[in-house]
Amino acid sequence: MKRTLLAFAAILAGAPAALAASAVNQDGDPRTIIVTEGGSQADIVIGPGETVEFCPTGCFVTMPNGDREVLTGTETIEITGGRGRIR
Amino acid sequence: MASLSDLIKALPGFLLVLAVIFCAPAMAQPQTTGNGFIASQKEKIDDIARQTQQLASQLEEKAGDDTGLVQIRVELEKLARDLLASGVAFRPRISEINDRLEQLGPERAEGEPAEPELVQQERQRLLDEKAEINALIGEAEALSLRINRMIEQIAQMRRDLFTSALSRRYDITAALSPQVLNELHTDLGKAYDTVASWLRFTASFKLRALLLTVFFSLAAALVLHLAGRRLFGNLIDPDLNEAEPTYLSRLSLALWSTLLPSAAFGILLGSAYFFLDVFGILRRDIAELLWPLFSVAVVVFFVYRLALAVLAPKRENWRLLPVETSAAGKLCLLVGVTATVTGFDFFMNRLYELFGSQLSLTVATSFLATIVVGVLLILIGSVKPFPGEEGARPRPWPIIFRVLIYGFAAATIIAALFGYIGFSRFLSQQVVVTGAILATMYIGFLAGGAMSGDGAFAGSAVGRLLSRRFSLDATTLDQLGLVAGLATNVAVVLVGAPLILLQWGFHWAELTAWTYGIANKVSIGNISFSLVGILSGLLVFIVGYFVARWFQAWLDSRVMARSRLDTGVRNSVRTAIGYAGVVVAALFGVATAGIDLSNLALVASALSVGIGFGLRNILENFVSGLILLVERPFKAGDWIVAGAVSGTVKKISVRATEIETFQRQTVILPNSELINAAVGNWTHKNSLGRVEIPIGVAYGTDVKKVHAILLDIAQSNRLVLKNPEPFVLFAGFGDSSLDFEIRVYLADILAQLEVQNEIRFAIVEAFEREGIEIPFPQRDIHFRSGPSPSGAGASGSVDGESENEEDQAESG
Repeated sequence: MKRTLLAFAAILAGAPAALAASAVNQDGDPRTIIVTEGGSQADIVIGPGETVEFCPTGCFVTMPNGDREVLTGTETIEITGGRGRIR
Repeated sequence: MASLSDLIKALPGFLLVLAVIFCAPAMAQPQTTGNGFIASQKEKIDDIARQTQQLASQLEEKAGDDTGLVQIRVELEKLARDLLASGVAFRPRISEINDRLEQLGPERAEGEPAEPELVQQERQRLLDEKAEINALIGEAEALSLRINRMIEQIAQMRRDLFTSALSRRYDITAALSPQVLNELHTDLGKAYDTVASWLRFTASFKLRALLLTVFFSLAAALVLHLAGRRLFGNLIDPDLNEAEPTYLSRLSLALWSTLLPSAAFGILLGSAYFFLDVFGILRRDIAELLWPLFSVAVVVFFVYRLALAVLAPKRENWRLLPVETSAAGKLCLLVGVTATVTGFDFFMNRLYELFGSQLSLTVATSFLATIVVGVLLILIGSVKPFPGEEGARPRPWPIIFRVLIYGFAAATIIAALFGYIGFSRFLSQQVVVTGAILATMYIGFLAGGAMSGDGAFAGSAVGRLLSRRFSLDATTLDQLGLVAGLATNVAVVLVGAPLILLQWGFHWAELTAWTYGIANKVSIGNISFSLVGILSGLLVFIVGYFVARWFQAWLDSRVMARSRLDTGVRNSVRTAIGYAGVVVAALFGVATAGIDLSNLALVASALSVGIGFGLRNILENFVSGLILLVERPFKAGDWIVAGAVSGTVKKISVRATEIETFQRQTVILPNSELINAAVGNWTHKNSLGRVEIPIGVAYGTDVKKVHAILLDIAQSNRLVLKNPEPFVLFAGFGDSSLDFEIRVYLADILAQLEVQNEIRFAIVEAFEREGIEIPFPQRDIHFRSGPSPSGAGASGSVDGESENEEDQAESG
């Protein structure tokens, strides 16, 4: 039983690590972020209130207001007023 | 329990380590203010840019060298990671600046009162710093793009290289001239000199290290060998007396007798290499000779052991393939020689590379080796291994296998003859190595299939051990066998598939990247999910479910049993905890699987009306079940009457209740019927109940005497309660009898049949003794002749109009 509990705890601790970064747009207008991941660069348009997932292994992001950030792939970005804030 | 106390003892240390791990980055955090930090990061990024530039120029040089390209790629990947890390390092400073800017507020527009000078200066300073950081990250971004594009370029170059290596054509005529022999002689001489000088040097100056190496590697191999023997001894050494070993035992013998000696041999050579290296006597040129030699030796050894295990030329009973003994020996030999020739070719190639030999020498060796392999393949295909029918000639391989092997042989030989030596070598190496891996995988699959066969696992050594240790029954063992078979198949694929892909020129990094990609994100249209997430969610659910069950059982047996709770309450609490546990486990599972519950809520709200209508009955029953659990109008074991159903409650589930009638028929009654309609419960608060036994005596009997007799009978029954006392009712004047009714109360209504029986027997006995008659209804029919006095004109001769019932006490 003890072992089962330990395994359970280990899974709970380890599970969230395998997720991508996500960005949620809190503004009323669609916002565009520029994501450079690997050898490619892409514009991602996020609709109002929408959440997108991207960048599982680390990337460079340019926020709508021109700020640049580097993500490792586990963060959540909240976009408010064109500004990205990392949670 | 010992391990638990150890765990508790180790806890403080563990916490300390954790603290160090978590605090270390904070302590190591660079000074995040000021331009010193930016300058140091800029230095780092510039350094990465310099290294990238160097690698880019190396890329040009090593365009033709696959190993070199892989090395460059590994370095580039490291640089890309460093770049990301240096970008991430800016994050605290950026958020500091942003926070500060927010505090300062936006610049005041014209017309508003002017800002203090200090505020303006600070804002400007912060904005400048932010711009600087942004520019730097932009630089890093561009660099990262460049690095990643170089990585992609390397992948393309390697693909091209592979294709051109296979499609390149060599001039064979030059390679087959007598000059080549001279070159061979010279190069072998060089190799001999190198090895001899190294040996001389080592023997005279590093003898002790050499001896230690030999000792340690032999010891390592011996330990593995002995441990393997000790653990799997009965699996490697077959019991020769056993006339008909089961298929599973033959398979496991083949598997273990291939894997264990090969592993021991590999450890021997690997540790020899390792210790030579550790003791510093492995010269670079010798290392480059030894490594291919050792790897070739291990592969050849493995292939030969595999052939021996499958074909078992000396032990007919243990053969996996049903081939003839003579063919088995021949095939073993042929397979061994094929592996050796291929290995020899591979090793000689490395040797020529090392000594910078002429290309013609490489071509000549490979040409001969591939032709020999082709011929050997043809020989293997032409063996007729299967026994024919009753003295007929032996049968050849199945046609598909023959076509395949002749095809490979022909392709190898023809490619070699036309000068496509690279392709030919690739083919012959793949035939040996991939063939060996495929054969091992095949044995693994067969073993998995055999394990899940009917009763096979129970008969195996592991199965017997398990059944002894945990006293498992045959069904459980059979299911375990199924699981073991499945697990074996999965393990075979997980180990074998990457090995084969590695053979085909894929690299480890690519494989892990693919696996990571597949496991983490599978996108179908807009929906993406992660396999690992779903699997771990499933696992969490299963574990959570068992934890809930365990908690439920613990609460029931340890807590509630001792708190003298009413069984109904216990039952309700247990059921409620069971359902709550499943729900919680499911929620945990869904959360772990990374499924967003908010999406689910959206769907649920949209569909709830439809679901509400569609599942009205089920929901009604569900809610009724919850009410039953809370209200507890009856509990398991109660005798209830609901409509036409009467019986004992067996189980109250959330949708329906199981009732067992006294005919032992199980009735599943939806809970809503138990809530909406009247339910009679004989044993609700207590099992007290009244039983009535009617009895009639003949007219003319002394009723006082009857009353007394009946009361006496009722009172003297041992199961009848004294209080409320039994009562004998003079119920009425019946058509043919004076009706009495005995009414008695029982402590346990379930005993009513027994009591009724006893009382009735006693009544009959007592009445007989006292001469009291129990009448039965009689009907006298009077026939009249002549016309009916009523003159109804009825001509019927039989008129049943005079139905005079008379109770006549006719004794028999």
